[in-house]
Amino acid sequence: MAKAIIALTSITYAMKAKNILSSMNIRSEIIRTPKNLGSGCGYSIKADGEPEKIIEILEGYGIKCKAYNAL
Amino acid sequence: MINFDNAATTYPKPASVAFAVSEAVKKYGGNPGRSGHRISLDAARIVYNARTKAGKFFSSLTENTVFTSNATTAINMAIKGILKKGDHIIISSLEHNSVSRPVHALYEKGIIKYSVFKVSDKADETLENINSLIKPNTKCICCTAASNVTGQILPVREIGTLCTERGICFICDCAQASGVIPVSLSDGINILCTSGHKGLYGPAGTGLLVTDGKFSLDTIIEGGTGASSWELEQTALLPERLESGTVNVPGIYGLSKGIDFVNSTGSDKIKAKEDRLCDLFLECCKGVKNIKFYSSRKNSVPIVSFNIGDISSEIVASYLNEKGFALRGGLQCAALAHGTLGTLSQGTVRFSPSYFNSESQVYSLCRAIRNYSG
Repeated sequence: MAKAIIALTSITYAMKAKNILSSMNIRSEIIRTPKNLGSGCGYSIKADGEPEKIIEILEGYGIKCKAYNAL
Repeated sequence: MINFDNAATTYPKPASVAFAVSEAVKKYGGNPGRSGHRISLDAARIVYNARTKAGKFFSSLTENTVFTSNATTAINMAIKGILKKGDHIIISSLEHNSVSRPVHALYEKGIIKYSVFKVSDKADETLENINSLIKPNTKCICCTAASNVTGQILPVREIGTLCTERGICFICDCAQASGVIPVSLSDGINILCTSGHKGLYGPAGTGLLVTDGKFSLDTIIEGGTGASSWELEQTALLPERLESGTVNVPGIYGLSKGIDFVNSTGSDKIKAKEDRLCDLFLECCKGVKNIKFYSSRKNSVPIVSFNIGDISSEIVASYLNEKGFALRGGLQCAALAHGTLGTLSQGTVRFSPSYFNSESQVYSLCRAIRNYSG
């Protein structure tokens, strides 16, 4: 299964993203943003699914996605 | 000791609140939003869930719900975050110092001007009084939802409508209203400030700033937020923008259980019981020599202020303390309200029950007051 790492803007939005994905039965976990997706301390969501699809879902809920990396 | 000073902070708290605070200290000891390890994320999760619950309570988005240490901090953040040099603000004649002092401080520094509107018993008159003070540079109206001295409820929804029509920011101090009467952003409030430790039954050291996001807020505190750490500029994102430094995880978790208590009991039921105790207090004290009440029980949260003759309110409160009753004397940090009532030198004794008080406790208090007055 495809996996996506999507950098988010804050822990609050990472928590929100996880809850939204969970309500859609999409497994995800919150991780620190990998260096190749951003600098400094930040949070990302690592989710099962195509990155473009995950981003589409999250942006539909007003969650800004900063960068993504397909695993 | 029987506590009738619940307008200062409710005590006792529901057992679930005490348990949650203890549980948070034991189980959720991480710093939320600062690390990627499970201890930090577990703490972040309970803070997020509490934020969602508080946001829902006040009809706000989770991310627009900011935890503060008390209502005063929230109000300072709102007033000082909104007003710029040359702006004008209107406040009410019943304000707590948490509103009047930051406003006056900005005025003293030559940054803003302010006007005070008289609160009438009639909503129409109150609105007329506000309208007459609006100027082209009026940026904001800030008032309490209910007086902490008399309990009088202000026409919040009508003021909200007025502000919306005039494009004015409405900041509402809901410290005495939250959990007792329905107040939320749906009343037209742009920035709702409240304590978490009064009618929401959370622990001391908790408060909330809830915004609809229509007016951006400058910060009065900057620092570590766990977001955009590589930038020198404070993050623009709520809630982190207004939550620099480590948040009060045990307090927030306790507050979430306090909100659960209010939701499961029902604000209507809570207010009905407290109203009954206030009415009983008034009834029992009727005929007490020289007693004077400053509260009309119509359109009021459960607060009754009184004096006995010309005796200092602090002396009366001190006597009641000796007899085992906690009531607050003095000015209740509301000089403007007491100026309006004409009680600046005497203050008032404030009776403010909570859901956990009983009728027999009120009877005992009234007996003590009767004995004192002779």
